[in-house]
Order: sequence, then C-alpha cells, then structure tokens
Amino acid sequence: MKNNKSGLIMLGIVIVLYVVLFSVKPDKVFDALGESLGVLKMIIPILLIVFFLMALLNTFIDEKAISKHLGEQSGLKGWLLSLVGGILSHGPGYVWYPLIQNLREQGARDGLVIAFIYARAIKIPWLPLMVTYFGMTFTLVYTFYVVLGAYLQGMIVNMFDNKEKNL
Amino acid sequence: MQTKLKSTFKNTFKTLYMIAPMLLAVIGLIGLFKTFITPEMLHTLFNGSVLHDMLVGIGLGGVSVGQPFLSYIIGGELLDEGASFYGVTAFILAFVTLGVVQLPMEFSIFGFRFAFLRNLLSLLFSFFLSWAISFTLGVLS
Repeated sequence: MKNNKSGLIMLGIVIVLYVVLFSVKPDKVFDALGESLGVLKMIIPILLIVFFLMALLNTFIDEKAISKHLGEQSGLKGWLLSLVGGILSHGPGYVWYPLIQNLREQGARDGLVIAFIYARAIKIPWLPLMVTYFGMTFTLVYTFYVVLGAYLQGMIVNMFDNKEKNL
Repeated sequence: MQTKLKSTFKNTFKTLYMIAPMLLAVIGLIGLFKTFITPEMLHTLFNGSVLHDMLVGIGLGGVSVGQPFLSYIIGGELLDEGASFYGVTAFILAFVTLGVVQLPMEFSIFGFRFAFLRNLLSLLFSFFLSWAISFTLGVLS
C-alpha cells in the first residue's frame, strides 16, 4: 500500500470544495455534511468488521494458505470462494479495498479478486426491492449475467497475467 | 502467538491510519453528490433510444453514489418515465460496479494497473451485460 500523501491531497481538495460551496449555498453544504456524517455512521461498523477480518486473516491464515485457496492452483474452489464471497460481502466497495489488497499481496490471483469485486453487484439484502421494481424474471436474469460477467472478467485478467508471465 | 497478534493489530491500525484521509475525502464527496445532484436532474437526460440511454445510464451510474437500493428506485422511476430497459440496466450496473468518486482511493490502494484494468472491464461489461440482460428479457417475454 502506498503512503497516504494522495489521500491528504484529495482530502484537501474536498475541504476546499466545501469551503467554496459554503460561500455560495451554505444551507446545502450543511445538508451535505449531514449526509456525509450519515455515511460515516453507516460504514463504521462495516469498517470494524473488515479490519477485524483482516487482523484474523493475518494472524491465523498464512500466505501459503491464501495462495492455495486463491492463488494460481486454486481451481474451481478459488472461483467459488471469490464469487460467493463477493455476493455475500456487505457495505460499500471501498471499505473492502484494504483487505482485498492485503490478499493480493499475500498471493491471491488478480482474476479472482476482480471476480470478487464484480460479484458484489449482487446485493442479497436488496434483491426483494429489485423484484418489487423490476420483477422476478429481471432479477434472476440480472443475477445470472452478473455472476457470468464476474467469471468472464476474472478469466480475462488471468489470461493477461499468464501472457505476461510467458513473455 | 501473542507477538504475532500484536504486530497484526499494529499493521491493521497502520492501514486504517493510511487510508483514513482518502476515506474521509470520499465520504465528503458522497455527501456533496447526494445533496447537489437530485434524481430529477438524472431523469431529464434519458430519451428512450437504446444506445443513447445506455451511454447516459453508464455515465450517470458511474458518477452517482449511494446505497444500491437508490439505483433500483431511480431506475424504476426512469423506466416509468420512458427510459429503455437498456439504459436503466446500464445505470444500475454502473451504479454498483463503477465509482468515479472513489477512483483516487482505488488507484492509491491497488496501484495503477489493477485499478485501471478493473474499471475498464467494469465499464465494458456494463455495456455487454445491460445489452445481454435486456435482450434476454425481450426473448423471454
């Protein structure tokens, strides 16, 4: 993971944006701050879970195990783990990034990681709402294609990686 | 074991400390988007033609932020107002798989190559899948 310089610059830009917008529409900026606080409150529990998982993973599962289950030789089990894991994982994607990067550094294959991230487009808790708005057929077709898309993207990335290794 | 646990927690907190500014920046941007960009603004951009709606859907989905259920609600309203299934599906897919606001964070954590590849694939698959989903639905009905 790189240093947090880019994060500080980004945070600086956002603060400047808030200050500038405050001079134009102060009421709305307070609303925006309220919304941001709401998001922060929502992600804190998920963030805690992610970091707890990360600590557990680092303590009890070594690189060997990760490369066995998610690495080059993981086979069908690796695909199942990443697709099901992606579908079951909660919360905004960016909360998961540090954990995902951790897995990559310990030998998880990029293709499986990409498949995990894409499979997150299926949000189990929200499926009933999707059925209400778009119907059961749409929801089933959507779910099928997202899983297929996640698998295909993972395969494409693995193909790239293999090609690079053979060069 | 205890030393390992200690060093693990130390590393975890270090990671949290490293990503904190970027995380706060992204959350701050989400607040601004939610307040300044309303669903009504999004409605006005669709016109019912397949390619146009798909492009608009992906563009809007990619820059919009919020809980996934918001994309279903907005998508449902867009359908009612005459946007095509192609556009609405593209919007929902891009909403959950692309995130312009969180791009800087993604690049800083994963590095350029991985983040670029992931976003490029998500962008292309928003096209392919929204077309495939709408086409399949057409055949099924």
